[in-house]
Amino acid sequence: MSYDPLQNLTVTPAAEEVKTSIDGLAAPGSDTDNQPKPAQPARKLHPLVDLYVDRSSFEELERRIERNGPWDDWGLYQMAWEAEEACRIDDFHELQSLRVLPQLTPLPHQLDTARRVLHEMRGRAILADEVGLGKTIEAGLILKEYMVRGLVKRALILVPASLVLQWVRELNAKFGISAIAQKKGYHWANDIVVASMDTAKRDPHRAVILDSEYDMLIIDEAHKLKNKRTGNYQFAGDLRKKYCLLLTATPVQNDLNELYNLITLLKPGQLGGEGEFASNFVADRRTAKNEDRLHAALGQVMIRNRRSDGSLEFTKRSVTNVPLHLSDDEQALYDGVTQYVRQHTRSEKGDMASMLSLVTLQREVCSSRDAVFLTLINLSKKVTPDSPLQHRIWELVDLIRNIKSNTKAEKTMEIIRNIDDKVIVFTEYRATQDYLIRYFKEHDLTAVPYRGGMNRGKKDWMMDLFRRRAQVMVATEAGGEGINLQFCHHIINFDLPWNPMRVEQRIGRVHRLGQTEDVNIFNLCTYGTIEEHIVHLLHEKINMFEMVIGDLDEIVERMEKEESLERKLARMVLESSDASDLRKKIDGLGDSLLDAKNQLRKERKP
Amino acid sequence: MNAKQAQKFALAYLQATQCHIIEKSPYHVTVKLSPEADRALTNRPYYWNFVDRTGTEPETMTFRWNFAAPGETDNEAASGSAPTHASLFDPHPAAPASQTAPLLPNGVRVIQDDVYFGSRRLTQLFETIKQAGRCVTLFAEPSRGSGNPLGSQPYTAWLGANFKVSYECDMRREELYGIGISLATGVIDERFLARLRETKLTPRLPSNVHLLRNGLSLRKAMNQLESSLERRIKQSDFRWAEEAEERRLDELERVDQYYKPMIERSATQEQKDAISARYRQRASEIDWQYRPRVSLSVINCGIFHLPGIE
Repeated sequence: MSYDPLQNLTVTPAAEEVKTSIDGLAAPGSDTDNQPKPAQPARKLHPLVDLYVDRSSFEELERRIERNGPWDDWGLYQMAWEAEEACRIDDFHELQSLRVLPQLTPLPHQLDTARRVLHEMRGRAILADEVGLGKTIEAGLILKEYMVRGLVKRALILVPASLVLQWVRELNAKFGISAIAQKKGYHWANDIVVASMDTAKRDPHRAVILDSEYDMLIIDEAHKLKNKRTGNYQFAGDLRKKYCLLLTATPVQNDLNELYNLITLLKPGQLGGEGEFASNFVADRRTAKNEDRLHAALGQVMIRNRRSDGSLEFTKRSVTNVPLHLSDDEQALYDGVTQYVRQHTRSEKGDMASMLSLVTLQREVCSSRDAVFLTLINLSKKVTPDSPLQHRIWELVDLIRNIKSNTKAEKTMEIIRNIDDKVIVFTEYRATQDYLIRYFKEHDLTAVPYRGGMNRGKKDWMMDLFRRRAQVMVATEAGGEGINLQFCHHIINFDLPWNPMRVEQRIGRVHRLGQTEDVNIFNLCTYGTIEEHIVHLLHEKINMFEMVIGDLDEIVERMEKEESLERKLARMVLESSDASDLRKKIDGLGDSLLDAKNQLRKERKP
Repeated sequence: MNAKQAQKFALAYLQATQCHIIEKSPYHVTVKLSPEADRALTNRPYYWNFVDRTGTEPETMTFRWNFAAPGETDNEAASGSAPTHASLFDPHPAAPASQTAPLLPNGVRVIQDDVYFGSRRLTQLFETIKQAGRCVTLFAEPSRGSGNPLGSQPYTAWLGANFKVSYECDMRREELYGIGISLATGVIDERFLARLRETKLTPRLPSNVHLLRNGLSLRKAMNQLESSLERRIKQSDFRWAEEAEERRLDELERVDQYYKPMIERSATQEQKDAISARYRQRASEIDWQYRPRVSLSVINCGIFHLPGIE
């Protein structure tokens, strides 16, 4: 069969192809051809090639002669030939799927990727395009091509739970592939199943899946499989598959062991045995040697398209920093918390984890009093009731009580009113999210929440509400992965993550292929707080908002060789004596980011 | 298959299955299905089971098929503007597979579909037709005025079969053959389907015609057709298979290099077994993917009685 069968439209049990190798034909009138027989080669055609013959139509003819009919219509007989002719694959190489997808216009790099995977990589590849270049489209094209060619009938697609429905929708709408989301046990019997890795690897599903053979396996967000000791990795390795696509947007080149594990999953031995790999390519964990050879070996299994490759056109980004002064009450709280943090840094010397949570307090004050309140309460629960700390914490809580308004929220409201169009507001904190939704509602503005903890259905519902009804969506960080919001082109960063990659992911939700408008980004930034320093670093110093993302992720990965940027920043905040000292340190960090960028540029030049 | 051909194909199916066409424009058709088409297309086995058991008069469904590419609206079709090339290829990712249109004046629900090459509905038609046009017995209509009106014309029975040959490895290519064999003499006609297309055929035995005795059993004829095709395939170029074999060996070698040392080095028997099992699994996957093979299947076939002694 040349097309995905139409389970949901037609039931044709007889359509199941029965291959028989019995010499001669089944006795007329026998029902044996209704039972699948194991396909066995009939004869050798060539030393390398076996011939398989399906004679079921001959058997049918004999049966009907025996019973003197019924006979089919001559017109339909000719049309059956016509249908076969229309679907015929006349060439080993040329892409066939485009003929059946008149509504799809893939971009040149997507077509190119599909061709390379089909012909050069033999259907096993890592698709590592940067965020927003359409990895799903590429994977869909490849899957469709194999289906049209009759080489893939059953496929399993494992994706993060939040993306299951999106995959199902895209495969159905864009590719006419009857994929279903796995919800019930019997769904595994469907030809094309999309499921979350977490569900699939659990019993009883696990046993069902490991017992099956899949013509194609697709794993999205495959960088989560980089550790070979995890259950996910073992599970993916145990699956029986013919073709296999691993999708990831994270540049895995930076940790050689992780890269090695991922490729071993796909093509064991591509980089040699473990020992060979280490001696041939690894200088230390993050530095490769014999880079040319490594790149050549990688090029055979991995494709990474970049925005900076130039063939793609994106709309512009315009970035506006919105400076704000905290109200006196808010400032008092900020100062109080800062003082508290400083005192504690001294007493908790060395314990980085608890120091980090102290910095979080400071960041939360810049977001909303609700966020900081929650953290303080949790903190007070951990401290013994009679400790002097308890007293300090409650003093801070009193400061919170004094705060009557949220300067940032008021400003945000003002910006949204001026924009008068769909806006997505990002915040790091769940409490701030709740507060904002409440605040907007009080001011007659419809806003919907979006966060990682929501289940699939709710997320989809929220996306739909945002598209159709609400003017505003308030999303927390976890909402970042894989949501497409091209219909909106205004972003407000209510507060900023300290990791530039995560800022980029936020923007990437909106500024991606298919966005037809220029994208406006507003960063709220309170004077005299750590936020001011962060905005200074990200915007003025390294100008990340306008950087090409491919550069950014590699730069950040390089910078993070020893310690994550977030920790580095937190350490600076805690260790600097005053604002100007902090500024100096942050500038230093900015400079090394710029250095990394320049170095990357140089390396890129052939 | 372009939009026009797809339309022609769909309309031919409706006609062949005696569906009742309610209205029609160059861009769409609204049709009340015949029972035969309804059984094949609407996926209502329980309903048809009910009709068959109770003998109730069946109520078939009504479809509206739009023949423009997905996204073409009624307005465009109604205003008579021909679909432009650009609009045919407009990206329209969210086009629903089928939707319900407003009711017809008599209150009948109409199922709307886009029918174009690659659409679900046309793919379904293809699958249906493969079953519905599988086996025939036909006679050529005698050419008028030829021969003696009182005499009888000799007819030869032919077994005609349409074959699909697919050449498979990690990629795939197909060829179609419409060939036939005379049951009287065993002569094989390689262009049999083309010949049939030029002949006027009828399911009834015409008058003033007599059928020649068959010299060949049906089963023998089938085997001979098959072997003639097999001989032909044997003479074809097998470079594709050699290349696939090279790929297979190349992949196999890679896996060998990876697992063999690991198996040797493994400390315990348990470990050895686990790695060996995985090695075997990978190797069998490679075999599954690359091993070159040809499969031959009969699309449809029939007995054709044609004038002459051959």
